[in-house]
Amino acid sequence: MWRLTPGQALVCREWDGEAVLYNDLSGSTHLLDGAALDVLYALRDEPADAAQLAIRLADRFDAGGDDLVAALGDMLYALAGLDLIESC
Amino acid sequence: MLTVGTLTSAELRARLAGDGLVLRTGPFTNLIRSDVPHLIDTVALMYADYPVEPGGGFADFHLDYRRSRGLRRWFRSQVHFAYDGSTPFQPLPLAQAYPMLEWTMNWCVTHRAHGYLIIHAAVLEKHGRGIILPAPPGSGKSTLTAALLGHGWRLLSDEMTLVRPDDGMLVPVPRPVSLKNASIDVIRGFRPDAVLSRPVEETTKGTIAHVKAPRDSILRAGEPVPPACVVFPRYEAGAGLALTPLPKARAFMELADNCFNYQVLGARGFAALGQLIDTSDAYTFRYSSLPDAMDLFERLALGTA
Repeated sequence: MWRLTPGQALVCREWDGEAVLYNDLSGSTHLLDGAALDVLYALRDEPADAAQLAIRLADRFDAGGDDLVAALGDMLYALAGLDLIESC
Repeated sequence: MLTVGTLTSAELRARLAGDGLVLRTGPFTNLIRSDVPHLIDTVALMYADYPVEPGGGFADFHLDYRRSRGLRRWFRSQVHFAYDGSTPFQPLPLAQAYPMLEWTMNWCVTHRAHGYLIIHAAVLEKHGRGIILPAPPGSGKSTLTAALLGHGWRLLSDEMTLVRPDDGMLVPVPRPVSLKNASIDVIRGFRPDAVLSRPVEETTKGTIAHVKAPRDSILRAGEPVPPACVVFPRYEAGAGLALTPLPKARAFMELADNCFNYQVLGARGFAALGQLIDTSDAYTFRYSSLPDAMDLFERLALGTA
């Protein structure tokens, strides 16, 4: 399971399907695609694993099934590497 | 209004040798002292149109440029810089006193003026539209800037774009435009009207000369401008003209990388940059011909590019 890092405010701006996010815990700024932002918003609402996110976000992504779960798994590890989310 | 140009040579020397010349550059006051004769002559030429403030009041930056003493005064003489009584930099050969003045005046702003988001970028205005030119050294940014100043553009800055966080306006701090190496002769050829300082050789950046800022730009230094475009220029010999839209989120990241104090301002810097990107079109721009570039920038100024 993954959750948004406690205290992360998700200060961000989005233009044309891409976003910049100010990580107010680290002071870094990240360039994200819109899908990553959707995942962060979803985890802010409720902790989840890749399979649960695939169901919750199915209508927002073109891919589905195992491919989507695998892609979300990679994305979750990448977001954890930026200290935006953590396992719980 | 008292300007450097209205002072006699003797008055200017007396101020610089005494309590200091209080020079206004945009929102800043610089209290300058010096005993270097050719530096004083160059200040008289390049800053003739700048306002001089009364002495004895507050000054943002206290800058002191002194010639070596002792044996060094006569053998390989150097210029020593002091800021508010401290010496943050090594001395330079005496011939480099004027480039040192320009570099250290920039340094004061980029290291102290954190009331602004400061982008390492030239910024110009025409028809009320502010155009920001961020670029690394060697991209042709200053050459392009110096050329545009001969085509009705107003100089806000050649080096530092000051963004006012409260309202996103671009605040002018017009100062001489720094040219390097081959660019010096390029601008001499393209703008025979331009006033240039004497080239100084063998600096860490090669041969340096500065172009005097247009008088109108200095007189209008109190007029901020809203941003309209961010253009990342790149000079490429023989290349055709190419203006390519840059996605806004990527432009944001590029601009953040070009800021002097984005990290210092934290969330405030993020908000200011986001507001700037909101109101600006962003492009990459490749050029080799200055006349072609002038035409394209006219269209940018009119909002028809």
